[in-house]
Amino acid sequence: MRIARCVRLAVVLGLLATSAACGGGSDSGSGGKVELTLLSHYSDGPSKDGLDKMIAEWNKDNPKIQVKAQVVKFDDLLTTMTVRQTGGRGADIVSAYGLWGGQLMKANVVAKVPDDIATKIKAEYSPAALGAVTTGDTLLGYPTELNTYVLFYNKSILAAAGIAKPPTTWAELADAAKKTVKRDAKGNIQVEGLSLIQDGDNKSVHPFLSLLDSAGGKFLGPDGTPQFDNDQGKAALKFEGDLAAAKASNTSISPTKQFRSGGVAMAIQAGWWIGSLKTQMKDKYASDVGVTAIPGPTPGSKGSLAYGFFMGVNQRSKHADEAWKFLTWLNEHKAEGSNVTETGKWLADQGLIPPRTADQAEYKKTLSDPNLAPIYDAATYAMAEPNQPGAYEAKTALHNAIMTVLADGKNPDDALAQAAKAVKPQ
Amino acid sequence: MTTAVGRVGADGMAAAPARRVGKLHREGLAAYLFLSPALLFFCVFLILPFIFAIVLAFSDWGGFDLGTLKWAGFSNFGDVLSFDGTFVKPILVNTLLFAFGSVFLATFGSVLVAYCIDRLSFQGFWRVLYFLPVVATVVAIGNVWKMMYQPAGLINAVLNKLGVNSVGFLSDSSFALPSVTVVHAWASIGGAVLILTAGLKAIPEMYYEAAEVDGANSWHTFWSITLPLLRPALLFVLITQFIGGLQSFALIIVMTGDGGPVNATNVAAFEMYQRAFKFGAWGTASAMAMVLFVIILAITLLQLWIARRRGEETS
Repeated sequence: MRIARCVRLAVVLGLLATSAACGGGSDSGSGGKVELTLLSHYSDGPSKDGLDKMIAEWNKDNPKIQVKAQVVKFDDLLTTMTVRQTGGRGADIVSAYGLWGGQLMKANVVAKVPDDIATKIKAEYSPAALGAVTTGDTLLGYPTELNTYVLFYNKSILAAAGIAKPPTTWAELADAAKKTVKRDAKGNIQVEGLSLIQDGDNKSVHPFLSLLDSAGGKFLGPDGTPQFDNDQGKAALKFEGDLAAAKASNTSISPTKQFRSGGVAMAIQAGWWIGSLKTQMKDKYASDVGVTAIPGPTPGSKGSLAYGFFMGVNQRSKHADEAWKFLTWLNEHKAEGSNVTETGKWLADQGLIPPRTADQAEYKKTLSDPNLAPIYDAATYAMAEPNQPGAYEAKTALHNAIMTVLADGKNPDDALAQAAKAVKPQ
Repeated sequence: MTTAVGRVGADGMAAAPARRVGKLHREGLAAYLFLSPALLFFCVFLILPFIFAIVLAFSDWGGFDLGTLKWAGFSNFGDVLSFDGTFVKPILVNTLLFAFGSVFLATFGSVLVAYCIDRLSFQGFWRVLYFLPVVATVVAIGNVWKMMYQPAGLINAVLNKLGVNSVGFLSDSSFALPSVTVVHAWASIGGAVLILTAGLKAIPEMYYEAAEVDGANSWHTFWSITLPLLRPALLFVLITQFIGGLQSFALIIVMTGDGGPVNATNVAAFEMYQRAFKFGAWGTASAMAMVLFVIILAITLLQLWIARRRGEETS
């Protein structure tokens, strides 16, 4: 009897504790003033400064709709969104990685983009940017950051190995990787030939998907089913596996730490890396760093992966109209005395590709750095990273499979088959 | 409660049963009143989440919105315990290896260290020295060891000096789990040493004097006196270390980032975190939590049963 009463009490308390989740967004301030919150990972440096500047500009001109930025580190963004949304304290405007789009849509986090705004976005943004922030047929919000993958190479290391021009096929890429790798007498790698990983989550997947794209393959179908366990996928993974077996590629080397000091000859990385390399390498950047398209198996073929971020409105926001009004202004207003939008400029200043087609075209006319050209070009042909529910899990399964090949020398065909089995369309 | 009963007993049979019950009731009420802040904390932060986790384990929920929670029956447990998945093998196997390995190393090391410290001068200094890793954050410990494990790190440099080729401590899937286990054990020694030292201090000196008179050597003394009388402290260390080992994942995140290479260091707690907070699969994550809870409970009960069978009163 007493136990039953305790259980009843616990359930009541539980319901009380979770009832907070019924709220959401921010309330109106005093005097009919609306305060919107914007949660993003633009937490420091030029990304924070640029966004803060635009928000301050908006707040000055719109005293009745005030926007307040809330920032966390990227690694904490999804967790913060999850916890706050569940606790009924989600931000009115969410800035999120496109890969999470399916999850966020399935959980009713992002509101539907109003038809008039969606029509404009579809007409004015590049296909790669749109693809990265569209789940199924649903557009999640305004595309913001756009990144494509390219091949970074150290000109000096390639030249020292007798390689005059960057590789244009897989055969040339493998040859260059084998020629440039250097090890000491103890077997320690001094210079890695080709890096096939990057920092962060699922570090082996983006370089692999870029190679898969260059071979004409796909990662997931529209229904979330695996599409990589086929000839193209096997060829791309075999290519990577052969390089690892030849010790021309090694997963224990961190390209973002060792490329700058000449410890990596070539690396498949995202375009944002340019900004970091310029800062880290200073004068050596111009003399040593080259960027080219990721070559494919045959002459003339090339591939890349595009991933993006978006800004959308929280389903639970009490001020969705005001939020869309602000987002429209943020993404459409032009920078002072310029032909590009201020958001486009803000992104380009960070070494990112502006997602808007007109901004891209404008920037391509006057690229100050020739290394940016392949990055911009890739936006026209890159495979957009799939983002349906379950895509993140599928990506992790693929990463584990790739690593069994790169680190343990497992058969690529078996690894892909196992990864395909682990993908569960939702 | 025993003291209350004792005092009532002292009053003898002369005390009226009603008065006795009233006094007991008042004392009980006062005890619960004093306990209420702790009980409330316990309810809000342990019981309620536990109940919620049980509910989630039988549901399909993507996080964010409780309105989207759907009943899923036992399907989450089916997914989790399926041999086609990764949870049973390698994740659960890794978890047990990590826990057993770190408990074995930490217990063996802490008994040795505590026994040695007990026979040294400046005992406080040595205890502080061994306790430092417990005070240091997991992030700091993980990063320092990570640097030492690097191909060009301190440990490989020593190996190279000895003519041994570099070892990929964190990049080779055969070495990654043992490497992280060693660090976890090393970081756990300090706390265990403190408890075991207290246990050693509680052993009456007369036993050792009697052993010395009987001509027992150090090994006999340790084996026949120290170890048996240290059993309560050892049991506490074993149980807490084992539970800690089974639940640990912060060190693994710091040292390997993603439980890699190829799930080689992926453990149950880390997988739960990934499923819930990354993939939005809260049902599966909660089912994993329930499985881990049952495993921890079973192992703890087994440890207690073994200890009791060997004559240890733990209650």
